[in-house]
Amino acid sequence: MEIVVGISDMKVSNNPDDVIISYSLGSCIGVIIWDPEVKAGGLLHYLLPDSNLDKEKAKKNPFMFSDSGVPLLFREAYKFGANKKRMIVKVVGGAQVLDNSGFFNIGKRNALALRKIFWKNNVIVAGSDVGGTVNRTVSLHIGTGAILVKRPGREVFAL
Amino acid sequence: MSRLKEILDSVQQVAPFPKVAMRVIEMLKHDVTAKDLADVIQYDQAITATVLKVCNSSYFALSRKISSLDEALVVIGQNLLKEVIITSSSSTFFRDIAGGGYKFEQGEIWKHSVAVAIMSRQLMHHVKVVDEASAFTVGLLHDIGKQFLSSFVKEDFNKIMRKVLNERCSFVEAEKYFLGTTHAELGGIILMNWEFPEEMVTAVRDHHEPDALDRGVMTALVALSNVLVASMGIGVGAGGLATRIHGEGLRRFDITQNDMDLHMADLLAEMAKAEEILAL
Repeated sequence: MEIVVGISDMKVSNNPDDVIISYSLGSCIGVIIWDPEVKAGGLLHYLLPDSNLDKEKAKKNPFMFSDSGVPLLFREAYKFGANKKRMIVKVVGGAQVLDNSGFFNIGKRNALALRKIFWKNNVIVAGSDVGGTVNRTVSLHIGTGAILVKRPGREVFAL
Repeated sequence: MSRLKEILDSVQQVAPFPKVAMRVIEMLKHDVTAKDLADVIQYDQAITATVLKVCNSSYFALSRKISSLDEALVVIGQNLLKEVIITSSSSTFFRDIAGGGYKFEQGEIWKHSVAVAIMSRQLMHHVKVVDEASAFTVGLLHDIGKQFLSSFVKEDFNKIMRKVLNERCSFVEAEKYFLGTTHAELGGIILMNWEFPEEMVTAVRDHHEPDALDRGVMTALVALSNVLVASMGIGVGAGGLATRIHGEGLRRFDITQNDMDLHMADLLAEMAKAEEILAL
């Protein structure tokens, strides 16, 4: 079954027939995790780097921010017996518009926030397709762990 | 016939914008009563039907069915009324161009347009645009030129995309380079043909100019809204985030990065509300 992850949203699964997909990541970031042993994983699509922006919003929807969303993504996957040590982690998105001033560097701020979280928690990123000015659609195939990325002007490729 | 002439001719074929909607946008610049508005709206069956449908939608959860326009205007109030009228009048011009040159998914360009209109409404106070109905309309119509350029972009898609990806060029710059015009310019022509006020024509025409934030407030507002909505990845199609903007222009407005982040966060809830009310 196709499970769609919207903006500020997260889904996990251990059903081998499931494909978790997020359409059109712009400056947002998609974090994809998958444990090859239990064949379970998930996808988080967060909008902004830091929940300090609005704690109320973060409480209502933790998946809006990287710092509140990432821990929950892992925790939900652990429920399927996934283990952090085995987890394959990949990152997609973080594009931004062409602006030299840095006012619209949402993509960069999003990527930086994630790097800090992973650094603190000893998470190694196995692959990423981040930055540039392209929007991306990413899917995680639960049965195989395949992560496919679609960008305009390019064939779909496995990350 | 040259291709540019063919493109320019195609926009001359566009049907007129509903007169009643134009009149309402104009009226709302001044103080009007629900009765004044009802007097005008009643002559447009499509708009009347939409207004009644919205009133009777689950969003308002009224205990009885509303069947007269006078009653309806009291229920939905002026703010929502203008958005309902402008939105329903504009939507007819966004026939689906899914899979065309911009590689839109079904309904994506319309979703983007609504998002930019709502973002414009949210940002109005920062940018000091006073005429909300016009700003909302510009947001909804800013990409209307894509309807006409789509098939031409499709012919040259590979060349356009290569230029965008290899030369750090914006999608609009590539349109101009290969087609001789842009969707923004075409949009300006369409609004001019519809006899919209100069400020709205200019805003649509210039919304991709890199210095848009330094220009008139309506132009700055739609350019800023478009950049934020594009950053969120909402309905951008193949153009993606390949749009150029000089962010320094923001300094003249009372807006911080925090404000912009908050408005992006707010947009999601506002979009959900709009979907419920307008059944987008």
